[in-house]
Amino acid sequence: MQPQEQLNHSGNLFSQLPITKSSDQLSQWVEHVTKQLIDETDDDPAALPSPIAIDQNDAAMSSLTVLFECAVAISLDNLGEAHRMLLELSQTASPYGPSPAERVVAYFAKAMSSRVVNSWIGVCAPIRVDFKAVHAAFHVYNNVSPFVKFAHFTSNQAILEACSRHPRVLHIIDLDIMQGLQWPALFHILATRAEGAPHVRMTGMGSSGELLLETGKQLSSFARRLGMQFEFHAVEGRFGDVPDPSALHVRRGDTLVVHWLQHSLYDATGPDWKTMRLLQGLGPKVVTLVEQEMSHGGSFLDRFVASLHYYSTLFDSVEACEEAERHRVEQWVLHREINNVLAVGGPTRSGEDKWRRWRSELAGKGFVQMGMSGSAMAQAQLILNMFPAGRGYSLVQGDHGTLSLGWKDTSLYTASAWTWPNHHHF
Amino acid sequence: MDTNSKFLNPRINNGGLVHIDMQPSTTTSSSDSAAEGGGEAKWASKLLRECAAAMSEKDSAKMHHLLWMLNELASPYGDTDQKIAAYFLQALFCKATDSGRRCYKTLVSVAERSHSFDSARKLILKFQEVSPWTTFGHVASNGATLEALEGESNLHIIDISSTLCTQWPTLLEALATRTDDTPHLRLTVVATTAAAKSAMKEISPRMEKFARLMGVPFEFIVIADLNRLGELTKDALSIREGEAVAVNCIGALKHADVDERRSVIEMMKSLNPKVVTMVEEEANFSSNRNDFVECFEECLRFHTIYFDMLEESFAATSNEKLMLERECLRNIVRVLACDDKVEEHDSERREKGRQWSERLREAGFSAVAHSEDVVDDVRALLKRYRAGWSLVLPAEDDQTGIFLAWKDEPVVWASVWKPSK
Repeated sequence: MQPQEQLNHSGNLFSQLPITKSSDQLSQWVEHVTKQLIDETDDDPAALPSPIAIDQNDAAMSSLTVLFECAVAISLDNLGEAHRMLLELSQTASPYGPSPAERVVAYFAKAMSSRVVNSWIGVCAPIRVDFKAVHAAFHVYNNVSPFVKFAHFTSNQAILEACSRHPRVLHIIDLDIMQGLQWPALFHILATRAEGAPHVRMTGMGSSGELLLETGKQLSSFARRLGMQFEFHAVEGRFGDVPDPSALHVRRGDTLVVHWLQHSLYDATGPDWKTMRLLQGLGPKVVTLVEQEMSHGGSFLDRFVASLHYYSTLFDSVEACEEAERHRVEQWVLHREINNVLAVGGPTRSGEDKWRRWRSELAGKGFVQMGMSGSAMAQAQLILNMFPAGRGYSLVQGDHGTLSLGWKDTSLYTASAWTWPNHHHF
Repeated sequence: MDTNSKFLNPRINNGGLVHIDMQPSTTTSSSDSAAEGGGEAKWASKLLRECAAAMSEKDSAKMHHLLWMLNELASPYGDTDQKIAAYFLQALFCKATDSGRRCYKTLVSVAERSHSFDSARKLILKFQEVSPWTTFGHVASNGATLEALEGESNLHIIDISSTLCTQWPTLLEALATRTDDTPHLRLTVVATTAAAKSAMKEISPRMEKFARLMGVPFEFIVIADLNRLGELTKDALSIREGEAVAVNCIGALKHADVDERRSVIEMMKSLNPKVVTMVEEEANFSSNRNDFVECFEECLRFHTIYFDMLEESFAATSNEKLMLERECLRNIVRVLACDDKVEEHDSERREKGRQWSERLREAGFSAVAHSEDVVDDVRALLKRYRAGWSLVLPAEDDQTGIFLAWKDEPVVWASVWKPSK
């Protein structure tokens, strides 16, 4: 007979948090603090605002404060202090904790730890990625969260609308095709049109030749079953590194579509200026772009603040998902992205400053924006209805015809469509 | 103390980092296979050992290269290889940046601040539920203690251990159900750490209440005014005339300074105990403490087995498992990245059964074999857990004690001693 034990969750300070309450508190507090930080940056970057007194004994919030202090230390190159604070955080915050705040802190602390180590070593190069595992996790993300489907379906809609003039041959270049989850839905619509399907050529890009071939096989077999004429070209590597358009199998007379779903899992395209140059060189009829509403540019502190806000919101949005799947998405997709943004990305590492927002760049470099139509909006709404937490997601039509999907007040992914005015026919 | 100077990176030039676009050209075969996304099992062990060797040989370029690889591949939230890589990488990093002592102190202070009595106790109990790692020692020791104190009516057990009294309810139960008169039990617990001292405040009333429920005449004393085991004296223990003394030493001696261990054992001998039960984890970070590579390899060997055991005993996303893994960092940093001149006297240098046996013999103790009954109890205990555990009895003549083994590797040693005639 053992003495009675008091029981709750993990037993450390974080488990004292009331779980449901903290779900949106996290992103609200982060937003509040980041606003203050941005306003205060001129005054004293080292002075941090104290957390909103939502709950005075809120351990997660005080951990976030330490995380901020740590980011400031890193930005000031104060690696010793940063390392000490990270040791603390890495001993207390758990990625299996009951609150999203705690899990966010755990993953951020790990990413920043990696950064401290590779800063000290002086070498930064991501070791080869296990793409198969990453793609598989992305697939789970696609299942539990509407963002990927939103990207796929709104882009497909924009492509259909822009190609309504019965092209003989439709050529799609997907800058990072992964498992090609997006395309079967488009093929299906094309194949079941009254006028029949056009001949479809697809150039799929990615970092693993082996996986590209696999994707190509799957898509070809699907197209065959639909009775659609289909050709797949695998091009291994990063879009920005491609020397000239001919390497992408473009042909005169084809209607050219370029599709880009941006993510932060790894660098899929390479230097931004090269990517832009190639896009201009291709002069496509349609460019469908889906961007993360998070600035990839700027100093470390800028990126830290932006990504903390962004990922806190994402963590809030997946909180209601089934636990095993949620954990998989958090660990294999979101954690990966956080690590990539903080430990790997940035000008001191890649040697280049990433652009903050591609929409602005495209507009400034000769591309003309085409508005996302009501049909695209309707598609997006249909997708949201498939998800139980549907009421937390927010769909916003932006200026110039963009469509954004977010959580509560924060936009997370924005879809836009563009055309090159004198689009080439090769 | 300016720790930042240690962090000035010797390799940064022009304020930027070296960016490598391709796979590193100077790779050993293990690095290549590690680069295949960690497909080869045990890549962590290879990279870590190579890094430790490079560090010891002061091969800076090689060390940096290996640290880079480890940093890329390690994760405290991944598989066992990734976890081992993550924790040992931290220790190597502390050593390379000369920040071992500071990091150790940070880890100690974080642990003190973030663990409550409830969380510590809950952790121990959960661990006992899924693994015999600690209960093995309890069963072996309680059994031997009860047998040695058979027929005595005034028992005094001196408990020098890390188990927060989780071992004693079973013993109290056994005393209560003895067919003869229930003896009087005095239990003196020695607490040297802040955490143990504060835990004892909660434990005292619980133990007393439990003993009352069991109907065992009971006295519970806590000695909490010590900072180290070496300060414990015979007088402080107030042994009374006619008491049968048993000393229970589970997982505590490894915390004593290596140079103090002899005197602690001699003090135990001076108590003239009927029996001493000693349990320690089977690893040696002591005799090799001046040989970094040897100590590193042993530390890696032991913790790899431990992490493997944890992985198979707990669920994948268990917070308890995570806490146990994280606790190891303190030990790894202490043993590998600090020289022995740290003020805190928590040495954390484990010794193997053979080494403890030598010390006990030198102090005038003789080994006693666990009885058949106790061995049977231990076997029965192991049956309650998942497969992978086994009991190893001493094979050679000079081996003493019994071992708990995980996948045939001895991991915990339990022994019984009496003063030599």
